Amino acid sequence: MGEAQKGLLSVVEKLKGTTEQEVRIVLLGLDNAGKTTLLKSLASEDVNTITPTQGFNIKSVASHGMKLNVWDIGGQRKIRAFWKKYLENTDLLIYVIDSADKKRFEETGLELSELIDEENLKGVPVLIFANKQDLATASPASEIAEGLNLHTYRDREWQIQACSAVSGEGVQDGMNWICNNIANRKKK
Amino acid sequence: MAEDDSEWVLESIVGFLGSPEWVIPVTDFMENKCTVFDDEEENKLSYTEIHQQYKNLVEKLLENYMQEVGINEQQFLYACTSPFAKSKTLQIVFQPVLATDDFQMFRSLMVQKNMELQLQALRVMKERNGELPECLTHGADVMTELQQQEMKILHQVLQKSKEEYEEEMSFRMLLDEENGSTSSSSSDKPFREKQASTSSQQDSTAKELPESEQDQLQQRATYLRQQRDRLHALKKEQQKSSYNSPPEEAPSSPTEISAEEKKRLQKRKHLAEKLKEEVIKK
Repeated sequence: MGEAQKGLLSVVEKLKGTTEQEVRIVLLGLDNAGKTTLLKSLASEDVNTITPTQGFNIKSVASHGMKLNVWDIGGQRKIRAFWKKYLENTDLLIYVIDSADKKRFEETGLELSELIDEENLKGVPVLIFANKQDLATASPASEIAEGLNLHTYRDREWQIQACSAVSGEGVQDGMNWICNNIANRKKK
Repeated sequence: MAEDDSEWVLESIVGFLGSPEWVIPVTDFMENKCTVFDDEEENKLSYTEIHQQYKNLVEKLLENYMQEVGINEQQFLYACTSPFAKSKTLQIVFQPVLATDDFQMFRSLMVQKNMELQLQALRVMKERNGELPECLTHGADVMTELQQQEMKILHQVLQKSKEEYEEEMSFRMLLDEENGSTSSSSSDKPFREKQASTSSQQDSTAKELPESEQDQLQQRATYLRQQRDRLHALKKEQQKSSYNSPPEEAPSSPTEISAEEKKRLQKRKHLAEKLKEEVIKK
């Protein structure tokens, strides 16, 4: 972590007295994909009063002896230009897709591939949440994976996880993958 | 070698963090930029920009100092991770430095600074005016107070017109009684003549009364207007002191700004209350 940061501030980073391992996770995806709902679901908070995010939300979740700092940044088109500013020192990317919004599969695929090409996300593992599986019209995760050409990703670990942020189903499975993945990386 | 130095290095850095060369620019920065930081759960995109500026500032200040005194990064790190540096008092001193790497910490420092400034503004207002305007103490805010004042004026005007109307009606009835015997279809002309001739004395007093009332009303209206202007000026001043760079300028319409103002005032009040609570608790 933090190797990318140079100079004095990288020294400051080492000053933090925490023994706990901190992990920076960025949560992205189109508007209305369910990023904030997922974030709140991760933090075991109420998911019924969520409005479209105009800025960003941060939650710290303790899991597997690690402190996961999850940054959820608004997905509206005009905010997407700001995503880049949040990618530095990221340990893991979570990308959320509305599995029932077939009309925007192409758009979400484009945004994802742009992120994958970002220098700051080079080699950063990506977890894709195929969200809203509670809806009858949701596409299965396997279909979405195919549409996104995930199998062509050779430079990083990736995983697609079907979930419903509203019911919480599948969310923990995704988190387990994240923790295992990061624990493995740190060992190496 | 570095470890031997750690004590004086740490001392020197702590000294610097208490010196005007550090405190003034950092405090200036915080006071200038804290106004957009509220205690809403969601962060604004602008926070990130400000955090970046803060990082640049701190880095520049520390680097300059270290260069000046001749401390390298390795020594800095050793010194700041030594057991001495882990004491509670020093951790507080280091907070503004650590905030460069910790957005959440930075944000809470900024929110706190914003609250402090708001409380300060409240205190200044209280000192200047003896008491806080209604809007900052009880539930009502400036706009409703103004509306109340306007309603008062309206009531007075209505009452006055009602009085005049009743006066005239009673006068007519009087006339009708007098004229009742002559003819039921008395035209306007004789009526007017009668009015002028029979009650010249009464008429003069009737005219004078509304006039004096009108005078009073006018005085009242100007007084109220002055009051309102003062309130506006106060509000502006308060805005200036706590909102150095107001995000929205030049109101597009008066109704819009009033709603916004209301919201802001309410928020401010809420913040102040919260802070007070916290302070008292402590």
